[in-house]
Amino acid sequence: MNLANSLDSYLVLSGLLFAIGTFGFLARRNAISMLMSVELMLNAVNLAIVAFGSFIEGLKADGPIIALMVMAVAAAEATVGLSIVIAIFRNRKTPLVDEYDAMSR
Amino acid sequence: MSWQDLVVIGPLVGAVVVAVLVLLVDLVRPGRTVPVVIVSVGGLAALAALVAATGAVPASAFGGAYSVDALTTYLDLLFVAIAALTIVFAPDYLAPRGLPLGEFATMLLFAMTGAMLIAASTDLLLLFLGLELMVLPGYMLAGYHKTDGFSAEGAIKYFLLGSFSSAIFLFGLAFVWGLTGTTRVAEVADALTRLPNGISAGLGMGLAFMTTGVAFKIAAVPFHYWTPDAYQGSPTPVTGYLSVGPKIGAFALVLRLFVETLGPLSEWWLPVMVVLAALTMTLGNLVALTEDNVKRMLAYSSIAHTGYMLVGLVAYAADPTGRVDGLSALLFYGAAYSFMNLGAFAVIAALQKRAGVTSSLSTFAGLGRREPILAILMTLFLLSLTGIPPTAGFFAKASVILAAIEAGGPATILAVIAMLNAAAAAFYYLRVVVYMFMREPADQQPVLKHGALLWGGLAVTSVLTILLGLFPSALLEMAGTAAGTLLPH
Repeated sequence: MNLANSLDSYLVLSGLLFAIGTFGFLARRNAISMLMSVELMLNAVNLAIVAFGSFIEGLKADGPIIALMVMAVAAAEATVGLSIVIAIFRNRKTPLVDEYDAMSR
Repeated sequence: MSWQDLVVIGPLVGAVVVAVLVLLVDLVRPGRTVPVVIVSVGGLAALAALVAATGAVPASAFGGAYSVDALTTYLDLLFVAIAALTIVFAPDYLAPRGLPLGEFATMLLFAMTGAMLIAASTDLLLLFLGLELMVLPGYMLAGYHKTDGFSAEGAIKYFLLGSFSSAIFLFGLAFVWGLTGTTRVAEVADALTRLPNGISAGLGMGLAFMTTGVAFKIAAVPFHYWTPDAYQGSPTPVTGYLSVGPKIGAFALVLRLFVETLGPLSEWWLPVMVVLAALTMTLGNLVALTEDNVKRMLAYSSIAHTGYMLVGLVAYAADPTGRVDGLSALLFYGAAYSFMNLGAFAVIAALQKRAGVTSSLSTFAGLGRREPILAILMTLFLLSLTGIPPTAGFFAKASVILAAIEAGGPATILAVIAMLNAAAAAFYYLRVVVYMFMREPADQQPVLKHGALLWGGLAVTSVLTILLGLFPSALLEMAGTAAGTLLPH
């Protein structure tokens, strides 16, 4: 694996970012932090897409377009997510997901 | 974009138009139920006619990214029926709680548009966009009763795990696109058959991530954790919709992805699907046995039904002769399950017309004496969910299991597991029937007056539940044609 300015190095970085996002989602208990972790995962995806697009000749045209689509979807998802977080914060007065356990009690 | 492209995506544009019309009607006459119902159900009827008319001739648009075939038409008609029934069932639950129907119907119609986009996509990126368009309004619908703690809690759990799984799916998609060089379903399938050194590590990882993302969406065990809370917390008509609409939509994604795109690799994903199906059926049914809340019980039952539908997929993949019996059984199962499950949730929603009534099992005590017609209809839907003849549920289960036995190999084991599960499931479905007819209620409950819309919707679902059991051949033929389009030409 050649790590000096190659596709592999960007893919490894993207994989690391995705792993950090996944870890954050699983380990953090604050709903806002979990939302941020998902955004980090989506950004890792975008990094991989842009890397593929700029290193592989046949994908040069598609890469940026797919990346833009992913950004649009991520923005829509963040909007819905934040509004749901606000709705439950007004109900429970806490952002900690551990305390959202009214149904399993 | 040419004029022909616009004609091909006509049904999709029509769905958006109906959604916007409903929003406009709600703007002119805020908070009124009748105009919204007339415009949305009338619009959906027109849309169904448009789908049937344009679906007769296979066509594709946007360079093969979007295609209309028998499968698209079958699924579109099912999605339209699900949306129309959900809108019909909703007012009885929403009105006493002061929740407006206008936004509800609009969200539902946008979600339906997303499901229709999945059904017509022959491009991985479009499949993802359809998936997101289907689930984003779903999150909002789950939290529709925003002042209610349960609804908001169900929504946040649904949203967090849903967006997490979308990110996983997308990560896999990026690698599959990067390493095969295309997002077109047919071209990816072609690239996968011509791999010089087999599947590389990156491609294998991408496919595994996509599989995981899809497993979350169809609520297959062990990726089902969001389901019980999201279903129990959501307003009951939304739960009814969530248990069928996004599930059939996700199965449309499964068909497009695993059969059409990853068909060449079926020997790789077959063992995964066998394990997923066995776990999903068994765990769903076992946990449902212990639940005292009917909505939560039906949530686990919906997980179990995901498992039965996966048996159909396994039957297709395990069949050495490449028959589509398993897939047509899966499609038939989807339709039968939709009608009986929507009916069961409509009865629960009707009982919850009086605000404050929970969905616990005790609500059903003495229902047979209090409201005999509702109790009889609920019994019909529960018998159908159990799989007792002559209902749609029986024929659906029988066709899936028969396809699995005919396929042989690992599918035979699954057929045995499915039959054992169906027997175990009878216990918890029939427990509700016992409560309705043989238990006295703890306190006197008033007899509720239900709207004509609800009765109409219940009549449609119950008639379909019986008709599909007595005369399944017409729908089965449609499902067979639809499944046939998935095979490589």
